[in-house]
Amino acid sequence: MSPTQDLSSLSESELLRMEREVASRHIDKFPYFAVAWAFSNLAVWLALWPLVFLGVIPLWLGFVIATVNITLSYLPSHEAQHDIIAKPGTKLRWLNQLVGHISTIPLVLPYRVAKFTHMEHHKFANDPEKDPDYAIHAKSPLGAIWNSIYYRQPRADGGINAYGDAMVRIGRQDVVLDGVIYKLVHYGILFALAWSGYAIEAALLWWLPRHIALTYIQYYLSWAPHNPELTSGRYRDTRSFRSILGNIGSLGMQYHIIHHLHPRIPLYRTPRAYWEMKPILEARGCAVDEL
Amino acid sequence: MVQVIKTIFYFGPLLFGLAFLAPLSSQIIKAAAWTPPFGLTPLLTGLILGGTLGLIAQIRGRWI
Repeated sequence: MSPTQDLSSLSESELLRMEREVASRHIDKFPYFAVAWAFSNLAVWLALWPLVFLGVIPLWLGFVIATVNITLSYLPSHEAQHDIIAKPGTKLRWLNQLVGHISTIPLVLPYRVAKFTHMEHHKFANDPEKDPDYAIHAKSPLGAIWNSIYYRQPRADGGINAYGDAMVRIGRQDVVLDGVIYKLVHYGILFALAWSGYAIEAALLWWLPRHIALTYIQYYLSWAPHNPELTSGRYRDTRSFRSILGNIGSLGMQYHIIHHLHPRIPLYRTPRAYWEMKPILEARGCAVDEL
Repeated sequence: MVQVIKTIFYFGPLLFGLAFLAPLSSQIIKAAAWTPPFGLTPLLTGLILGGTLGLIAQIRGRWI
């Protein structure tokens, strides 16, 4: 199939068959890079603490690296959330769960909270009431950045602050405890470091990088692929887009439409799957005109 | 236990102001070799600054 082929005359079932055929070529590929990324990213972030405390690297450099580390910490967990590393009941399932749990530690986002809210996002993308990431919805990029920051304020009732409500809605109150423990430990460590004379280090290796990372992640994962003017529905709730920072700079989200249609395709395969599937997506009237 | 945790989270902004922003301000003051006015120590200045910011955030429900 050529990327410019016109398939608009094909029937719904024919398009679906072709779409599944493309997807099947990319599913069940082991994401070696994501697994290595999860462990190395966490190791680098943890190493920053002694390196900065012992004066091996300057704090400003630690801050830059920590910001990159924490920004990159979500995606390996995202692969695990979709069982891409290993499905339940398989030999490497432990690795899937381990990656899921450890990679988002710097982001202070428990794996089960991330997974359950993300599954809700997939089920109800762009639904104002049920999509846990809907709070980032905005008409402009600046509006999205503002919403991301606004909904992290103490009494804001949306965005990441409302993940607990999403857990209650789906009957997983038990998972709320994960969030409470993560928060208590996070702030406990920050306070202990601060009163031990390491407040600036704690602020620049964890507190501020985490807020920058959350804004960046929410911008590229929650806003850019789902806004502006997109509605709900399998072929209408997300799009492909061109980022000025490219696909790597946008955390691999330029081809996010592939992820929503076939969530078990690993992140590194989504560009290839996109170009193979593009005529099908065009025939369905998907928002794929930017790429 | 649940009530204790709820109370801690309720007073989160004030706690953050006193337990994190106060020592942070104090250490920034020291690192900048700045002398606070009225003979205040860096720590006391930090506690006033962090406590005030925390209290404002506590009342408003937002930092910015």
